[in-house]
Amino acid sequence: MSGALETRLGPLTLQNPIVPASGTFGYGLEFTDFVDLAKLGAFCTKGLSLHPHAGNPPPRICETPAGMLNAIGLQNVGVKVFVEEKLPRLRELGATVIANVWGDAEEDYVAVVGALEGVADVAAVELNISCPNVEKGGMLFGNSPSATASLVSRVRAATRRTLVVKLSPNAPDLVESARAARDAGADVLSLVNTFVGMAIDPVTARPRLSFGTGGLSGPAIKPLALRMVFQVARALPGVPLMGIGGISDLSDVLEFLAAGASAVQIGTANFRDPGVCGRLVDELDAHCRNRKTTVAELVGRAHRSKASAGGEAGAEG
Amino acid sequence: MRADHRATLLRRRVFSPGFFSVSFRAPDLARAVLPGQFVMLEVAGRLRPYLRRAYSVADADPSAGEVEFLVRTIGPGTAALEDLAEGSRASLLGPLGNGFSLADLEKGARVAVVAGGIGAAPFPLLFRAFGEKGIRADLYLGGRNAAELDFRSRFDGVGAAETILATDDGSLGAKGFVTDAFARGAAAADPSYARVYSCGPMPMFAALARVVQRAKIPAEFSTEAAMGCGFGACLGCVIPATDKPFLVSCLEGPILPPERIAWEKVV
Repeated sequence: MSGALETRLGPLTLQNPIVPASGTFGYGLEFTDFVDLAKLGAFCTKGLSLHPHAGNPPPRICETPAGMLNAIGLQNVGVKVFVEEKLPRLRELGATVIANVWGDAEEDYVAVVGALEGVADVAAVELNISCPNVEKGGMLFGNSPSATASLVSRVRAATRRTLVVKLSPNAPDLVESARAARDAGADVLSLVNTFVGMAIDPVTARPRLSFGTGGLSGPAIKPLALRMVFQVARALPGVPLMGIGGISDLSDVLEFLAAGASAVQIGTANFRDPGVCGRLVDELDAHCRNRKTTVAELVGRAHRSKASAGGEAGAEG
Repeated sequence: MRADHRATLLRRRVFSPGFFSVSFRAPDLARAVLPGQFVMLEVAGRLRPYLRRAYSVADADPSAGEVEFLVRTIGPGTAALEDLAEGSRASLLGPLGNGFSLADLEKGARVAVVAGGIGAAPFPLLFRAFGEKGIRADLYLGGRNAAELDFRSRFDGVGAAETILATDDGSLGAKGFVTDAFARGAAAADPSYARVYSCGPMPMFAALARVVQRAKIPAEFSTEAAMGCGFGACLGCVIPATDKPFLVSCLEGPILPPERIAWEKVV
């Protein structure tokens, strides 16, 4: 693999920009039959809380055109079990681990991040302030710039690790949320989490998910997510971004890099094709060789091309 | 080992409109799969259905390198399979899940298979294993009406000791629920059933769970929950459990003993 794929996200350098997204890749170990974890840029763990969390009752998922709704409700083993039982094996496998964390209250986030302090082989922490499927916490922190700022500054004070903040597309003004997270000390922003959606059984007229609503993901959201990445990259030049939203193939990867993402997270596509991330690394490598280019050159190309100068892509309103 | 097998559709056998079986060439899978295991099947290149679908492997022939699935068309996933042309490719991710247990049964043991409608899908392969081990198995097959059992000729020659049919409307076999037919059969069985294997809709499972608990017959249910991935990554396919909040059907099942399922919480 060539150094052409290397990408920088603030203090963090990844060997390539392909990163499986939180909640779609388990703890990595579920995928070892299908992908060499050491080959990925990094991967984001299932959202970790201070204590194990059971999640929502079924039905939790529902297919929709070109995507799916989920309301898993952040089921996870808790940070302690992750560190003691999952991380040692990930270390052996050479995985670059981004620990995704969440909580009901600011103290919970601080406590989980605290539990990871001093733990070797966690490359970064990603704050989930954008999960739409829990009653408390989650998206509440992402939907108000002041709540985002307050949470991020408290976590910032608690860790020296690379701090990633995962933003919600459901926020009233994503650019303002992004600015608040950056100003409060986020090193990297990842965007976007799922869009709140719904499906109803036409016969019973009841929601198809037990939680009522769920997060929409998959190719259906790609154009929306791409617009948001482009918009934040334009508004906050220099802030390292990880683009997320329906990315399934090389063309999608190239589009998000062009929009200004320095890395991309692959989500729902992992369910359909558990080998997709390994293959995307190979395909991006071949692309860079054939075009004699590098990921660094591909990042933000859409902002440098003349065509993008005209439209204020994704203007609010 | 689990893998994503590129398979070719060899033939489709149509029992009646909406009921069919498909046989794929997938030699590695045919060698590896155990009765009760499943695959996540993708008909390539489609955005609808977007997710793969879980199918129990109905039968496997390692010498021919073939696996077979028994299907009822109910939505876009099964419809895509019904429309797939012979010679087309599909991806079969598997084998997944735990499978039925029968290693502990002795030669000559008597067991029962209770299937509701297309829930019969995983059983031809299990009957094959019964035959190899010299286990005597009765088949109880039920549905709402005769049309729901149009695929039953697939079970001709699988080696069931007795086949008992039941329909809610009495249009085929005994009138009434298959679980009631099984309860009568279990009471009369001598020697009694050492185990019952079942697959079908949740209401049938709930009724059968009561019957086997009363009769103290060990049981294994092939559970079905909507699966996003099939290998434990999405956690979509959970089932309320008695010993913890949820069982993850694809990882801890799909074959589960009824006493581990919290039936009062199952919708």
